[in-house]
Amino acid sequence: MNPEPFLQLDRVIHEKGRLAIMSLLAATPQLAFTEIRNTLNMTDGNVTAHLRTLLEAGYISMTKAFEHGRPLTTYALTARGRQAFAEYLDLLERILEQARGK
Amino acid sequence: MDAHWAAHQLQVIRTLMERAALYRRALSPILLVAGGLGAAGALAGWKAPVELPGTFIAYWLGLAALGVALTLAIVRKQALKDAEPFWSPPARRVSLALLPALAGGLLLSLGALAGPALPRLRDGMTIHAAHLMAFVWLPGLWMILYGCALHAAGFFMPRGIRLFGWCFVIVGAALFFLPWAHTPTCRTGHLLMGLCFGGLHLAYGMYLRLTEKPLPGA
Repeated sequence: MNPEPFLQLDRVIHEKGRLAIMSLLAATPQLAFTEIRNTLNMTDGNVTAHLRTLLEAGYISMTKAFEHGRPLTTYALTARGRQAFAEYLDLLERILEQARGK
Repeated sequence: MDAHWAAHQLQVIRTLMERAALYRRALSPILLVAGGLGAAGALAGWKAPVELPGTFIAYWLGLAALGVALTLAIVRKQALKDAEPFWSPPARRVSLALLPALAGGLLLSLGALAGPALPRLRDGMTIHAAHLMAFVWLPGLWMILYGCALHAAGFFMPRGIRLFGWCFVIVGAALFFLPWAHTPTCRTGHLLMGLCFGGLHLAYGMYLRLTEKPLPGA
């Protein structure tokens, strides 16, 4: 098998927790911090660390607001994040196609 | 890393994306309140019967509006408790899926109230036929449309809502096949509404109450 696709996998997305967050955000316009944490059964610290990495990579954006007097932090994929996620999926499909073509 | 790993990764991503699109709030409080309202409404209607079909329709339309308001209040409370947006994308999808069939039921009822569809004896209709239409067939149509609404919303909800929707469709359709030797009264209508809208909601709500594990994200 050609190892090239493996080498091209985005290391930021490739980590299990961050891939899960990117997958959730790819399916919905935005998600609250608690929705991400609860859906993935992660701790606050774990989610925060992964979100920070994705924010620094420019893959997600954060919005802080108040709803009914309570703070509400939501996250969404940026255009760059959406493109990186699409490329990641494309690489996975290429790996599968290579295996089928063997 | 191999093809098996890549296929597994894609499956995980697909599952997570599907999960993100699902409506995840606890359903049992909503079902129990709706069922309680249906049962209490039927009991109150039975105790103070009004024989006019129009009053029967308006009474249940009012109860339906109250049910919608209570449901929205419960969902809002759940969203506030979880520090999540009330009008989230899954909530929007569920609402849009519910809307056509519920709007159809509302328009049908308003037509029956205000338009020529309301059974009128002066049109040569027998009392038996008029009461059958108002107190049996119209509730049957409500149940069918409500079941269709639930079934449509069930595509964005995690548990057996689609099956629950089918229950309403089947029960509602069954009313059209039952032989009615005696003229139905408004009490017949209240009984049917209480058993179906009250009983089915309460039964499913209790089942969920006992079996519902907090879903991821609930």
